[in-house]
Amino acid sequence: MKSKVYILIVLAMALLVVPIVPEALADSTRSQEYKIKAAFLYNFIKFVEWPKGEIGDSNEPITIGILGKCPFENAFELLKDKQAKNRKVVIKRFKGFKELKNSSPNDKAELQRIINAIRKCHVLFICSCQKEELKEAIDSVKNHSVLTVGEVKGFLETGGVINFLMEENKVRFEINLAAAKRAELKISSKLLRLAKRVVKEESPEEKEK
Amino acid sequence: MFTQKSSLTRVFVLVLIYLLMFAFNEELFAQQEDTDEQGDLFEMSLEELMEVPVVVSAARKEQKITEASVPISIITAEDIHYSGLTDVPEILQFSPGIDMLRLSRFRWAVGVRGLHEFISDRTLILINGRSAESPLFGGSEHYTLPILMEDIERIEVVRGPGGAAWGANAFTGVINIITKKPEDVLGYFGSTTINQFGDSYTHFRWAEKQNKWRWRLSVGYEDLENSDDAGAGRYTSNTTGTVNSLMGFSSFTADDFMRNYRFDSEAFYDYSDRTRMSFGAGYSHAGVGDWEFGGYYPGGNGWYETVRSYTKLEHDFEDGSTGYLQWFCNFASSKVPTLMKWNWMQNDIEGQYNFKVASAHNISIGGNFRFIRLDTKIQDIQSLTYPGEPFDEQFAGAFLIDRWTLSDRLTLEGQIRTDYYSETQTDWATRLTALYAMDEEKDNLLRFSFAKAFRTPFTSVRNTLTGRVPLPSPPYPSGLYAFNVIPADELENEETCSFEAGYTGKLARNLTLRADTYYQRYSKLIGYTKVYDAFGLPYHKTSNIDGADSWGAEVELALDGKPGKLSAWYAYNDFQEDVSQQGIRAYCPAQHKVGLTGRLYLPDGWTFNANYKYSGTTRTLDLDTTILDIGSSHRLDLGIVKGFAKERGEIMIGVSDLLNKTNGPHFGSGQLSAHETPGLTLFARLQYKF
Repeated sequence: MKSKVYILIVLAMALLVVPIVPEALADSTRSQEYKIKAAFLYNFIKFVEWPKGEIGDSNEPITIGILGKCPFENAFELLKDKQAKNRKVVIKRFKGFKELKNSSPNDKAELQRIINAIRKCHVLFICSCQKEELKEAIDSVKNHSVLTVGEVKGFLETGGVINFLMEENKVRFEINLAAAKRAELKISSKLLRLAKRVVKEESPEEKEK
Repeated sequence: MFTQKSSLTRVFVLVLIYLLMFAFNEELFAQQEDTDEQGDLFEMSLEELMEVPVVVSAARKEQKITEASVPISIITAEDIHYSGLTDVPEILQFSPGIDMLRLSRFRWAVGVRGLHEFISDRTLILINGRSAESPLFGGSEHYTLPILMEDIERIEVVRGPGGAAWGANAFTGVINIITKKPEDVLGYFGSTTINQFGDSYTHFRWAEKQNKWRWRLSVGYEDLENSDDAGAGRYTSNTTGTVNSLMGFSSFTADDFMRNYRFDSEAFYDYSDRTRMSFGAGYSHAGVGDWEFGGYYPGGNGWYETVRSYTKLEHDFEDGSTGYLQWFCNFASSKVPTLMKWNWMQNDIEGQYNFKVASAHNISIGGNFRFIRLDTKIQDIQSLTYPGEPFDEQFAGAFLIDRWTLSDRLTLEGQIRTDYYSETQTDWATRLTALYAMDEEKDNLLRFSFAKAFRTPFTSVRNTLTGRVPLPSPPYPSGLYAFNVIPADELENEETCSFEAGYTGKLARNLTLRADTYYQRYSKLIGYTKVYDAFGLPYHKTSNIDGADSWGAEVELALDGKPGKLSAWYAYNDFQEDVSQQGIRAYCPAQHKVGLTGRLYLPDGWTFNANYKYSGTTRTLDLDTTILDIGSSHRLDLGIVKGFAKERGEIMIGVSDLLNKTNGPHFGSGQLSAHETPGLTLFARLQYKF
């Protein structure tokens, strides 16, 4: 009888522990996801060429803008003080468009100031929380040499250049070559080769712009 | 009614199954999850971040393994590390389709789908894409290469002709050893392995990164005691009667030790974002014990020295194209009483340019020029001699590779290469491949290929002249030998054509299946024929003898993830010569081979590793039919590893050939005697990273 009790206890514990532990680990997994995305951003800089006029001289840093409040935004802190293309990498954070409009709906000057700052970034990571304002965010850097990087479905079709995908818990990416061309960015063949998907022609939505 | 004991067993089995399900839970199986522990994410390349296995041996530039135009298997740094093995040939045997036999303490016969020998000249060995073969004897003498096991990033094994990419001698396959980059192994590292026989293998490494420079320096010492001391040494002769007593085989002992000093270095200079230079130099000195060859056994020690160096300039052009220029020089000097004293030097200049045409064509063009000088010195009357030495030989090759993306699903790849060789004739090789993706994600691919390649006859085969085992006079006239080799008539290149089909697919999460099948036709194979003189004495002479057919398949199933690795493969490799028992200087492949690898990463820094290989009977093809086939064998290696000091240190205890089934004497070509080698071996390894 006593052994049956033990058996029941062991089974109960196993049944409880197995579903709970993955949940507990989910946060650390997602945090790791963003650390890996930060490392990808760092690698993208190496494999993308900006027009000479846009990249500035060698004393100027490479600026990575983070648009919106990311769930694990501290992961991007790891990029601070890194060197890429023999320049320092700096991180600039920007409030999301919706957040900005809600906080100061009539302050168009503030909005324009932020848009101008965004346009000075070399890389703009648009968080998934900006899904509803995605078109506005991408349009804000239209005709500027900004490497837009997103993480939502349809990002490329909206005119973004590189989009992260999750595939079996691994980070993958896809590239919109037409959007890169429009932004006068040259993407290395290595990056194109590793991309899960390469969009070569502009989508009807992009053509309309 | 169950007994209490059986109920408990059932419960524990249930719990175990449940815990295994937990262990293989998809969330926890995320491989990238632990990358922080594996090193700085920002030091990782894109491929490492994506954990995409890339290969370079199929088309001379990096591509995903699934998109390669030829079957390729990868032996990873982890496979090498957790095996605890200290020789490249030993780890190669656990790769599908590889045939491996141990001929002495340090001589191995390794071949892709057979045709292996103590120098397997039909399988091309490369180190970082640079030739590692001896121009005198053809193949690679693995023990002379200045390469240390823990410096290997991966070994790519190409099964099938690779001549269109790599030139004259990638006949049955290519084995490309890729070394680790300095940035992946920064700091100091020390490792030492000892076994129950007193053999040892020690390696120290320093890797550093400063400004635009990165470098790696390694030194190593390997000591293999002779077979007698290592608890083996049972001598077998395949000769009888007069020859046996003439050669003194009855008092034969196995003093076949090896002591090897190795040094290897590589430095990279990032001149700019687009331009890189790399330099490398390696040196190996192997002192070796007695060895019988061709019935000659003077019983003296010898040595082998090898120097490898290279300089490479790589540039990424603004239009996305890339290219490199490279020079490498391999030099070897040896003195082996059984053979002779020799020096040879290879100088090779190579260039390659990769570019796109009309966005659908990924093209690589390039070529090389190689100058070889061989110089041999006779040691005594029974040395191998090469009339007409020194030899100056030249190779020149040019290749074109076009990877044409016809649609999202269909890719065609064409490779063509022509090589000029000063000693035979200009020849050509090709590989034509169609790759079809069965799904949009390209997780399931079909591959169909046709390939042609050739093998040039190396200097030793063309020119050897020797007489061995002097016959007593009287009754024979003086100056006659029982075993004679005479130079070949004009030899032509060996040729092969193959038809291949393959499938690579993802069956489930983390579960991949590869299946490859082939038919291969060999023609003009170079082997030995026997001619007799007026006294009826036999002479061995090399010539282009008949061809052979080869066919088979390899199937590999692999599960790889956070909890560990599990892979199983089966290879069926058949070979049928046109004329029975023709001497082709090599063994046939074992028809049936099975491999299993299991690795489990346990909590608290423990790792368990197991490698198993079954090899069926290996047929020997030799003019002397008294040489027996090599029986089937099982090989099982087990190892357990424990990390300490925050994983900086590591201790390993292992046993290789647990079943003690691979210690039988194997005769190599030209050997009339063979020794058993140590089978079951207990070993321990200690490593520390500073």
